[in-house]
Amino acid sequence: MSKTVFLGMSGGVDSSLSAILLKEQGYNVVGVYMKNWSRDLPGMKCPWAEDLADAKRVATKLGIDFHVFDFETEYKQKVVDYMLAEFKKGRTPNPDIMCNQEVKFKLFYDVAREQGADLIATGHYAQNDGKNLLKAVDENKDQTYFLYRISEDAIAHTLFPIGHLTKPEVKKLAAEKGLDNAYKKESMGVCFVGEVGMKDFLKEYFPVTPGDIIDEDTGEKVGTHEGAIFYTIGQRSGLNLGGGLPYYVTRKDMPRNLLYVSRNLNARELWTRELELEDVIIRGEAPIKLNVRLRHRAPLIPATFDGQKLTFAQEIKRPAAGQSAVFYDDDICIGGGIIK
Amino acid sequence: MPYLPARVKYDIITVMIYLDHAAATPVIPQALEAMRPFWSDQFFNPSSPYLPAKRVRETYEDYKNRLAHLIGAKGNDLIITSGATEANNLAFTATIAGCTSCPLESTKILVLATEHDSVFAAAEAAKNRLESTNRATEVETVRVDQYGRIDLTDFRNKLDKNVIFVSVALVNGELGTIQPLSEIAEIIKVERLRRLENGETLPLVLHSDASQALNLLSISISRLGVDLLTLNSAKVGGPKGVGALYVGHGIKLQPLTYGGGQERGLRAGTENVAGLTGFTIAAEELQKHLNANRKKYAEFTQALRTELLKSPVKPLFLGVKNREDEKTGAPKLPKPSDHQLANFCPVSFPGIDAERLIYLLEDPAIFANDVSAEPVYVSTGAACAASKGEKSKTLQAIGLSDTEIAGSLRISFGSTNTLEGIKEAGQLIVQAVTHEWERIQNV
Repeated sequence: MSKTVFLGMSGGVDSSLSAILLKEQGYNVVGVYMKNWSRDLPGMKCPWAEDLADAKRVATKLGIDFHVFDFETEYKQKVVDYMLAEFKKGRTPNPDIMCNQEVKFKLFYDVAREQGADLIATGHYAQNDGKNLLKAVDENKDQTYFLYRISEDAIAHTLFPIGHLTKPEVKKLAAEKGLDNAYKKESMGVCFVGEVGMKDFLKEYFPVTPGDIIDEDTGEKVGTHEGAIFYTIGQRSGLNLGGGLPYYVTRKDMPRNLLYVSRNLNARELWTRELELEDVIIRGEAPIKLNVRLRHRAPLIPATFDGQKLTFAQEIKRPAAGQSAVFYDDDICIGGGIIK
Repeated sequence: MPYLPARVKYDIITVMIYLDHAAATPVIPQALEAMRPFWSDQFFNPSSPYLPAKRVRETYEDYKNRLAHLIGAKGNDLIITSGATEANNLAFTATIAGCTSCPLESTKILVLATEHDSVFAAAEAAKNRLESTNRATEVETVRVDQYGRIDLTDFRNKLDKNVIFVSVALVNGELGTIQPLSEIAEIIKVERLRRLENGETLPLVLHSDASQALNLLSISISRLGVDLLTLNSAKVGGPKGVGALYVGHGIKLQPLTYGGGQERGLRAGTENVAGLTGFTIAAEELQKHLNANRKKYAEFTQALRTELLKSPVKPLFLGVKNREDEKTGAPKLPKPSDHQLANFCPVSFPGIDAERLIYLLEDPAIFANDVSAEPVYVSTGAACAASKGEKSKTLQAIGLSDTEIAGSLRISFGSTNTLEGIKEAGQLIVQAVTHEWERIQNV
């Protein structure tokens, strides 16, 4: 009896090719579209119905079962509400990381297991050796940054069918399998993570509240912003401060709705040698020396970790609070934490 | 071997059996040819003052007259729009324009339960605008029977003194059900008379969306008795992006676009000369062959049904009475219905997922006995509702169960079809149903 794998299918090439590869490997594959968000936003049509149709088309042509799991309520509670609460605190959360932790590798995993799945699978660029979460072969596409918070149980029961391939290999294989005909574009996932941008999304929930932009170096007001909640530390564009050298957001004073900026790229507020973390997750023994990734696709930086604080050999550009620092021991993604 | 045999490319569809003419039709060659000059040497703005522009203006008016003539109206009665959706929206402005001196505090709009989304949405918009003038407004739906025909008793009951607007499509876009519009108009006439005698001054306007009708029905405004009628070029072999609203005498509308005062000030914007030309030529051409086409499509319908009856899952033909052999209980070929437009053959395979059938039929090599079979393009529900993943309102309204709705295909014939093609499509649909049915049995 072949093992049953529930595969998250988004309609894009990665998960579609995953379906084909799993079927070739002899699994009993069940395709699942997770409906997490369907509401259109101003100026942006949510592509969920089209994505669903693309996923279902591939599943149908492969002759595999296909289901829609409606997770809209849970996604709103676990991801959107968390995200909004974080922004309200002046932080910059990463909704994709939360979505993987709470929805794709928890809720989906649980429901799939309930419905008879031995394993789950996704089209993420990541690998797994049955125990550890490993970086994808394609360094440039590696998505383990978004996956570091998923449980050990989920890792042990997840297949990443394309993690050993590079993106060009995926495209080539997909074309060979006749997939080029069945989809047209990359699926974008949830709308507000796509082109609409976070600021437009947040404006749906928080009113525009004008506040002062203060030059960190002179202490003078240099402009007006639309509400400190809409801005991120380190952000350069979107301040409408006219010509000259660009300003960077250095600090946010949420209670007073003030935004501090600096033209000085070397401003003390923008750099640090230490990062305090919370909600740290570590799988296995935590080594003192590890490599850290501070953004998706950012280079790995060596650091030491004492259980609470990361220390770097050199100054690094300070990531915004709420973002994640993800730990690697060689090719193994061992966990990470959320920056205070 | 590729898992998804990719014989057909989206960009060069050369061979296919297209069974979704209710969604779109190819522009007929005569229309294409007639439109060409207005994009090149006759490009002038009809409103410009010099002679060549004046000629274009005259040509435009001429085509408008010819189009109007097809429904027994005059060119001046038509407002050319960007399609049926705009025409429907424009029609509903009669509620606001007609209600400026509205004597009542509450008004009602009646819409048939099986109307197109654009009618429901325009009704809601009209309601919101009326309510912004402090008039409580209700949008009520009128029931249909199991074949999609209006329930006239329900209609009479709901047609009270507060009703200002009634919208009933001449032909439903999913089932092809033809509504008895002249009967509806008679009932409305009686209510108008009653209001007149009682000294009630609330206007009562009858609108009909005839988007699907012009290719197979002879339409006469006076016989239908409607005040407003929507026409659609894209369903009759004309170009997309063109439609028309017939506006009866004394019916007041409000413009949706403001500008240079074209179309009697009701639809500003430079006239779409090429579009109207193509629309008129295509409609005229189809109107010449009404009887022959009705006969042809009726034959197609029965031929397709004959094939579909061979399915392992018993087909449920929609919009007509299904029949069974009295002794064996085996399904029998239904009799053609006078109340279903001849080019519609909607069907449900309860228990089968119709969306999967659509995807399979794109690639018959996956399931077909004949691996060189042509792709068959069919649809579920109305294209716009289906793309939003919504359950068809029409199929709910005729009382189908969720399983029956999920198994429903909308099939509609047109100029691209042949009898052989229809038979082949029928066989392929049955093979696709069988493929899915066997898959389900194995789970």
